[in-house]
Amino acid sequence: MLEDIVSGYHGRPVLHGVSLCVPTHGSLTVVGPNGSGKSTLMKTVVGLVRPDKGRVLLEGEDITRLDAPARARRGLGHVPQEANVFRSLSVAENLRVAFDFIPARSGASYASRLEAVLDLFPEIRPKLKVAAGHLSGGQRQMVAMAAALMPEPSVLALDEPSAGLSPKNAELLFVAIRRIVEAGVTLLMIEQNTRLGLTVAAQGLVLVAGQVKAHAPARELLADGLMQSLYLGGH
Amino acid sequence: MAQLVFNGLVTGLLIALPALSLALVFSVLRFANYAIGSMLTLGAYLVYGFNVGFGLPLPLAALAGAILGAGLALLINRLVYEPLRGRSGVTLLVASIGVGIALENAVRFFAGSTTRGFDVEVARPLRLLGLRINHEQILTIAIVLAALVTIWIIFRFTRLGRAMRAVADNPDLAAVRGIPRTQVIRTTWIISSVLATLAGVLVGLDGNVDPQMGWNYILPVFTAAILGGIGNPMAAVAGAVLLGITEELATLVLAPHYRTIVAFAVMALLLLVRPSGLFGTPGVAR
Repeated sequence: MLEDIVSGYHGRPVLHGVSLCVPTHGSLTVVGPNGSGKSTLMKTVVGLVRPDKGRVLLEGEDITRLDAPARARRGLGHVPQEANVFRSLSVAENLRVAFDFIPARSGASYASRLEAVLDLFPEIRPKLKVAAGHLSGGQRQMVAMAAALMPEPSVLALDEPSAGLSPKNAELLFVAIRRIVEAGVTLLMIEQNTRLGLTVAAQGLVLVAGQVKAHAPARELLADGLMQSLYLGGH
Repeated sequence: MAQLVFNGLVTGLLIALPALSLALVFSVLRFANYAIGSMLTLGAYLVYGFNVGFGLPLPLAALAGAILGAGLALLINRLVYEPLRGRSGVTLLVASIGVGIALENAVRFFAGSTTRGFDVEVARPLRLLGLRINHEQILTIAIVLAALVTIWIIFRFTRLGRAMRAVADNPDLAAVRGIPRTQVIRTTWIISSVLATLAGVLVGLDGNVDPQMGWNYILPVFTAAILGGIGNPMAAVAGAVLLGITEELATLVLAPHYRTIVAFAVMALLLLVRPSGLFGTPGVAR
């Protein structure tokens, strides 16, 4: 999916030639210490940062030149780390506006998509009329993910889903993420919580100082004590 | 007293349309559109042109003026604001001051500086429950309320309204959700300009049509928008009505031509005490 990406801000590269690939229906978690370029990687994938070099491919098509809305319409769902719901809109409106401008790929109706995501996140069903800004952190994260799933994206990109959540809420959220992966949505996730992040994904990637240090099945990375202690602060 | 409150209500509703227009542009584009006064003046003159120049009845002239005004607003957006996209709110504010001056002088160039009036029949005021009510006042109340309800319906129940609120709330997330920002901005300008034109017609009916008419409204309009919390369009309406009534009641203790001082005082006080507005929450303006 990413080919030899050099990316950064104002001509100062943060990523130095990163390549990665998530197979269709597969899942990949990117882990790494703070400042390793995880967020820049995510922004480059979803189109919020233009790479200086390299290509971004979605289902074999070059989308490097497309901006974020265009990538979203091509089936790339994104849940940013912060400010990932419209706080002044109700939960129902958040889900609706996520569907309004990106028609579902299967042609499914709004009502059927709404039912599908509410089945995935039953916790938000009673909150539909509440303003999203009034929800707890965990509920907001679920609304954000539900909204991203409304148009049936082929790829879901999650930016640190557990950030700011209590351990219990994070566990709950990752149960839902596992269900999303099992439903066949291709998943690319960035996660600071190495253990949680690597347990739901098939593949893992360790990013350090803007370079790929390891790219292996998530199980192996989890078991690799050296990798853990060297780069990840031994979670 | 009741008469003053009623007059204040009407004055407030007159301010409400441009205040709503200002708050709308602010919430979506994140800059204070100083040209709002000139947009009002321009609207009034366009309608005047159709009304007196081409002899159309006022409602038809207002419709034609609103369409032409919206077209001009889109043109200005394309020529001025789109090339400045991504610049700071201050840059855009300064640009809008330039737009305001240009529009006013364009009006003077084409129509001259003399005071004019719409071609409407003068009718006697009505008396109701001890209140003296002009036909223009009834028209103002009806049109402003209809406009507000329409805007509210657009905001709540349409795809475009949701998109506008989403962009106002969080432009980055809106982009991620596939909402086309350019289209939302264009719609915002259309609505904003139609509101300004309507306000121009009502202000022109209330008083006269002259090249200065918009300038006189800039201060109260900004005050009303800040009073309501400038990022919150509907609260701007409440702010406008509140300000209108305060201004009228102030004539009990002040000479009427000092009314503008009230708007100034309210604005200064507000900026000192509650910069986010009476109904606003701190941190709305990022």
